[in-house]
Amino acid sequence: MASIHLQNIVKRYGAFTGVRHMSLDINDEEFLVLLGPSGCGKTTTMRMIAGLEHPTEGEVIIGTEVMNEVDARDRDVAMVFQGYALYPNMSIYENIRFPLRMRGVPASEHDKLIRRAADMVELGSYLDRKPGALSGGQRQRAALARAVVREPQVFLMDEPLSNLDAKLRASMRVQIKHLQRQLKITTVYVTHDQIEAMTLADRIVIMNQGAIQQVGTPDQIYSDPANTFVAGFIGSPPMNLIEGTAQNGKFTASGITAPCPAHLRGKVTLGIRPEDCRVGGDNVQGLVYGVEPTGDVTYLTVMAGSKQVEVKAARDYRSDIDVAIGIGFDPARLYFFGEDGERIRGAA
Amino acid sequence: MPQTLKTATKRKSRGESMLLRYLVLGSWAACCLLPILWFLTIAFRPRTEIITPSPIYWPSFSLDAWHLLMSDWPIAQYMRNSFFAVSGSVIIDLALAIPAAYALSRYEFKGREDIGFYILSTRMMAPAIVAVPIFFLFRSMGLLDTVWALMLVYAAINLSLVTWIIRSYMLDIPKELEDAARTDGAGDLRILWEIIVPACLPGIITAAVIATIFAINEFLFTLLIASTSKAYTMSVALANFTGGSDGVIYNAIALVSFLAFAPILILVILIQKHLSRGLTMGAVKG
Repeated sequence: MASIHLQNIVKRYGAFTGVRHMSLDINDEEFLVLLGPSGCGKTTTMRMIAGLEHPTEGEVIIGTEVMNEVDARDRDVAMVFQGYALYPNMSIYENIRFPLRMRGVPASEHDKLIRRAADMVELGSYLDRKPGALSGGQRQRAALARAVVREPQVFLMDEPLSNLDAKLRASMRVQIKHLQRQLKITTVYVTHDQIEAMTLADRIVIMNQGAIQQVGTPDQIYSDPANTFVAGFIGSPPMNLIEGTAQNGKFTASGITAPCPAHLRGKVTLGIRPEDCRVGGDNVQGLVYGVEPTGDVTYLTVMAGSKQVEVKAARDYRSDIDVAIGIGFDPARLYFFGEDGERIRGAA
Repeated sequence: MPQTLKTATKRKSRGESMLLRYLVLGSWAACCLLPILWFLTIAFRPRTEIITPSPIYWPSFSLDAWHLLMSDWPIAQYMRNSFFAVSGSVIIDLALAIPAAYALSRYEFKGREDIGFYILSTRMMAPAIVAVPIFFLFRSMGLLDTVWALMLVYAAINLSLVTWIIRSYMLDIPKELEDAARTDGAGDLRILWEIIVPACLPGIITAAVIATIFAINEFLFTLLIASTSKAYTMSVALANFTGGSDGVIYNAIALVSFLAFAPILILVILIQKHLSRGLTMGAVKG
């Protein structure tokens, strides 16, 4: 088990910069999730930790050793891939055995270790099969077993659940989290799915355009976003971000008003989560644009001027469209962001 | 009732379309197979029944051609030469092409695409252009009239094609597989032999079969290098049956043709599954 330190990592591909001056300390036994949209540099970062890519600048340190010049096969990290990457010509047993053979684990121990790893992911009765004869979920469990079998210093998981259907994804999520807690192995997990990030992570790193936007626990990321990117990325539906003007302790946009700290002046962005809005109130005066019942909650979209405001309404809320409606904000849950998108602290 | 009628009509039209399909495929198969059947019947009929004013639909069976080949011609030696030269050349091709294809498909280096094309472009040259230089080359090496020379020539002729085919298969193997093997602790050679080669086996088999067919059929260089019957292969032996003091010996030609053709036929039947997968793979992703 080991901690990981990324020190001022830069990765360039010709003129394109994939990762920009990234520094990050990952604690021993931590479950860290790299979250961001496609092309934000999260997978590149993970591949640099694995040794499959080399940083243009900066250092990758695992434990106390600088790994820049260490080949991937000598890093003692195990990786789980989005496409499973099981060796198609080998049985599941041989797939799980492969890293043991490569790392010179005595042959007498193989069988015991393979069966233990397979049992951990409930795959014990499929060992004789080839990957092609397994379902998607079973293949991903086989890939997990191959990663855990030699108990590496670090687990790297690159969107391992994105090829699975929603139901299977939920059950695999729990399984992965359980496995990580059980084995206490430092884990870096890449995903673009915020639900996965929120449910799995000890800490989340939100990335965009090759740079870290915020690092924090899921609670911190959700309730204390550092900028509009983080605020808009986390939450389902995401936070309402409304551009307007602040003056004399009052925020105004067309059809929208809200209290704001007296020191705010000029153009600002107001952030309010749909779950902190309620039907009835005078912060938003608009027309019902759409009502989407989902069973446990109803999503209401209100059009105020040219802006849409999302509201999480009660499950039994129903309305026709184009009906006049007032929406209230929870004054303790208002966020303000400056013109550069950064959060204006002490404003809520 | 209309529903039942509709189902019945559908079933009928499906039956008709199946019949049509079998008819078309059957006709096509007959077109392909009849010539083979035809020269088989020629091979096993007496010489007197080959050229007749009217067709003989049920010729008598005779081993004349077989006895002629066995007594007058060292056919076993020709077959042995063909076997060693061809199989040796295919082994050389695979031994060189697999690592070359791996490098061309996986390593990033300057001019990679150019080298790939350059290798393939050797195939575009008319063989006659290099025939004379190759003759002098082998003469200076003292390899003329040997099976070894044939082996090397066949290998050289087919190497570019074999490399190109295998490379196209390797390009289709997901990079993730290799990354997984690398993080599992495997080095380049291990990855090549344990992961890449098994994963593109259909492609390797396809390339080997194509190289075998080309090598067996190779004529020009064989004629040039094999100046005496010591190194004759089946393709040159076949040409030698077309003339001589005895006239054209059609039944012997047919038999030698069949003997030259049979190994390929057997090979293709044995690996048909891999071959059809191999020839279509790479065309469609997924």
